[in-house]
Amino acid sequence: MTAAADFPGSLAAAPGDFETRRIVYNDSISRWFVGASVVWGLVGMLVGALVALQLAWWHANLPPYFTYGRLRPLHTNAVIFAFVGNMMFAGIYYSTQRLVKARLPSDLLAKIHFWGWQAIIVSAAITLPLGITQGKEYAELEWPIDLAITAIWIVFAVQFFWTLARRTEKHLYVAIWFYIATILTVAVLHVVNSLAIPVFGFKSYSLFGGAKDALVQWWYGHNAVAFVLTTPILGIMYYFLPKAADRPVYSYRLSVVHFWSLIFVYIWAGPHHLLNTALPDWAQTLGTAFSVMLWAPSWGGMLNGLLTLKGAWGKVRTDPVLKFFVAALTFYGMATFEGPLLSFKSVNGLAHYTDWIIAHVHAGALGWNGLMAAGMFYWMVPRLYGRDLWSKKLADAHFWIGTFGILLYVISMWTSGITQGLMWRATDAHGALEYPNFVETLNAIRPMYWMRLIGGSMYLIGMFMMAYNLARTALAGKAVDGEATVVVERVVARETPWAEILFGKPVILVTTVTILIATMAVVNNEASLVLSSIVIVVAVLGTTALHLAVDRSRPRWHRLLEGRALLFSSLTIIAVLAGGVAELVPTLLVTPNDPQILAEARPYRALELEGRDIYVREGCYNCHSQMIRPFAFETKRYGDPSTLAESIYDHPFQWGSKRTGPDLAREGDKYPNVWHYRHLVDARSVSPGSNMPPFPRLVTDTVNLARTATKMHALQSIGVPYDDRQIAAARSDAEAQGAEIAKNLRDDGVAEVDAQSEIVALIAYLQRLGKHPPPARGPDVALTP
Amino acid sequence: MTTDSHGSSRGPEPVAADHDAHAYDGIIEHDNKLPLWWQLTLYGAIVFAMVYWFGRRLDAIETPLQAYTREVAVQRAADAEEARKRGTIDDAMLATLGKDPATIAQGKAVFTATCAPCHRADAGGNIGPNLTDPYWLHGSKPVDIFHTVHDGVPAKGMPTWGPQLGEDRVETVVAYVLSIRDANVAGGKAPQGALEE
Repeated sequence: MTAAADFPGSLAAAPGDFETRRIVYNDSISRWFVGASVVWGLVGMLVGALVALQLAWWHANLPPYFTYGRLRPLHTNAVIFAFVGNMMFAGIYYSTQRLVKARLPSDLLAKIHFWGWQAIIVSAAITLPLGITQGKEYAELEWPIDLAITAIWIVFAVQFFWTLARRTEKHLYVAIWFYIATILTVAVLHVVNSLAIPVFGFKSYSLFGGAKDALVQWWYGHNAVAFVLTTPILGIMYYFLPKAADRPVYSYRLSVVHFWSLIFVYIWAGPHHLLNTALPDWAQTLGTAFSVMLWAPSWGGMLNGLLTLKGAWGKVRTDPVLKFFVAALTFYGMATFEGPLLSFKSVNGLAHYTDWIIAHVHAGALGWNGLMAAGMFYWMVPRLYGRDLWSKKLADAHFWIGTFGILLYVISMWTSGITQGLMWRATDAHGALEYPNFVETLNAIRPMYWMRLIGGSMYLIGMFMMAYNLARTALAGKAVDGEATVVVERVVARETPWAEILFGKPVILVTTVTILIATMAVVNNEASLVLSSIVIVVAVLGTTALHLAVDRSRPRWHRLLEGRALLFSSLTIIAVLAGGVAELVPTLLVTPNDPQILAEARPYRALELEGRDIYVREGCYNCHSQMIRPFAFETKRYGDPSTLAESIYDHPFQWGSKRTGPDLAREGDKYPNVWHYRHLVDARSVSPGSNMPPFPRLVTDTVNLARTATKMHALQSIGVPYDDRQIAAARSDAEAQGAEIAKNLRDDGVAEVDAQSEIVALIAYLQRLGKHPPPARGPDVALTP
Repeated sequence: MTTDSHGSSRGPEPVAADHDAHAYDGIIEHDNKLPLWWQLTLYGAIVFAMVYWFGRRLDAIETPLQAYTREVAVQRAADAEEARKRGTIDDAMLATLGKDPATIAQGKAVFTATCAPCHRADAGGNIGPNLTDPYWLHGSKPVDIFHTVHDGVPAKGMPTWGPQLGEDRVETVVAYVLSIRDANVAGGKAPQGALEE
């Protein structure tokens, strides 16, 4: 690595002004993170194969700890934050040091980052099977772990920005831009979405309720995909792909345009996870509009990668690293085309709640992330251990089995999703449902569940081949730390003043257009049409003027910005926050004041609340939605469309995102208590063909009613209208309701039933769903103030 | 690092057109033009987004709920027309169906898929009552049975099957239930409700 030859920015200085410096990179941190990523990748995907088996063959559920509802969050968290997380840290540390020509400043922070992150993963692997969860997808970890994540992320950020501050390379390369966006945005997303009120050591309630919680959660969930699974990996692509191909990056200006448009637009698209739900329509419309606009920015990254391979396609045939990168970018392109497509309300109406979405995310996770990780590891590990890859043939075999595995996975899930989606909506000539029995639609896709398991297992075998290959490479070599010699200018040239950059023409133009658009959104309709023409004129004229005003003899504005890490980061965070503020602030501030919604809403009774906590603990939301969309075929099956009022006191919301089983929004009073009792103990006894896990422990385990009042008190403090009398009467009310249900169960032939058993509490909750209880139920248990 | 020699406009330009070279750790950055089709995709999507947003703001595009309300109104009218055509559901009509082997066979299939989990495959009763004994909780006339199935008895745990199954299927189920009436299958659940001959 002789960077001296490449070192820019030295055109005008005299020879005496330079100092030569030698840098030895901290590569051991990357070695650790690579190892951790491979190990957790195997674990995460093994759990993935297990949950896939559980869906096809319910006997694979081992209650109470290893049921689908508890393991699916473990699978998603392990793959996203342990496999991709560790991979991304390895790549970011390796490439950043080289791109900015500076060693990581602190070995201690590196160690804290590594071990802290692994400790968080281990705690996730322990708590999730124990049923300790916040009940929000990809953010299940309870509050103490959330705090640890925040602390470790700060350690990572300090290390990273400290490295940038000590850089000897003036300008920041596009990979670094993506890393900056990643670190800042993930911090904001994690903190806001994890806001919760702790009740006990490992129990908390989300600060937000109902639709507000839904919007915050999917602002987070969508952008976790954006800023954990996309932006850092794009940055990694921008470093490792041109390195492996030994080709120049195709287009700098494409990098500029697609970087800013990607990070700005991504944030707004979260509501596309909530299309056709009770979420206010303006937010849904924004979700669709911005998702469509996200298509080109996403493809910009794919194009810049694929076009960089111009003239290197011969190499792709022989080099496994490039094969992985090309396939990864292709899957990225496919998934980012599918995303906007799925964001149209009509397409979403078919695909939402089905396996089509599972196909979509696995094209991203296995295709884009998994193959990028493999390519990066096969390139990096030989360099980290100073020898060639142990077996190129084995890497090739991994490529083919992995790629074929994903295709099998994705195609079977597309088939499954579209089949089931069409069956749900099929009606006969008289408008009656063609398949009224939900299990019928499940049985139709069962073969696809087996196909998926085969495809996923092939991918997993490929991962084992990679682990073996990398281990042999590492064992045969010895750890080598990269080195570079840099030439540093002693006298720092006068910088352009920061104000000149911050208030540069492009910023002024973008700000003007943004303010006009924001005004448009709040003024009345006719005026906003006039404003929209003004926006277009200003945008077009402004862009043209900027283009014409370029002075070729001076560095362009963005080039100056690239020389200033702090300014760059500031503008990045502004671009990212814009969408979040525009969508979250109105929702959080305005919605709760709607008197009609408040008048209709009633909080849960004490035992129902306990039942709800069991529902969350068992991860029922992983398979059951509680959100009936306004479609005739859906209301025939489940009842009237869900309203905002029905879930307003749900902390966290439980609208769900997948229907492996039927929707439960109006489950209350649909079946007798005894039906639920038998169904929970073994679903097959009343619903032949069901793949729901059995929950026999609910019968023997009891609810600790001594803690109920504390829970209600916590909810009261975040706006659920319990009065002090109700909280004081929590225990007696729960006992009364439990006794009533237990008596009813005994009358219907259940031999032994404990009024305080968990199953009774869960039945109380299920029978309440979609029912507004009468305003008062006697003096002790009054539900309204 | 050399660039491609062919001089087409789509080929890479020789290094960034800036006053300093773009090179980072040996990675050279070219500065090719943005592909035209990509720009069209970008601007096209922006135009779409604006049209879509204003389409909604000006109520030119329906919300899902508006579309649903409209569809339901249409469906209601069609249902009323259908009901008018087929005439009222009465005991005689249902009793006739209860003697039609084809209808009974259809009803049996629906019964097996939908009712058997609670009423047992042979209708001898399980969670729900025995349907083959002469005791009835909610009336035994064909129309009573129709309403029990169609509208449900939520307080007693009988689900409302009408919307989910549709009227035709409910009729076939009633036909089947009438056909097995008083069959008194072996091992049936103890009688519930009133004796009705």
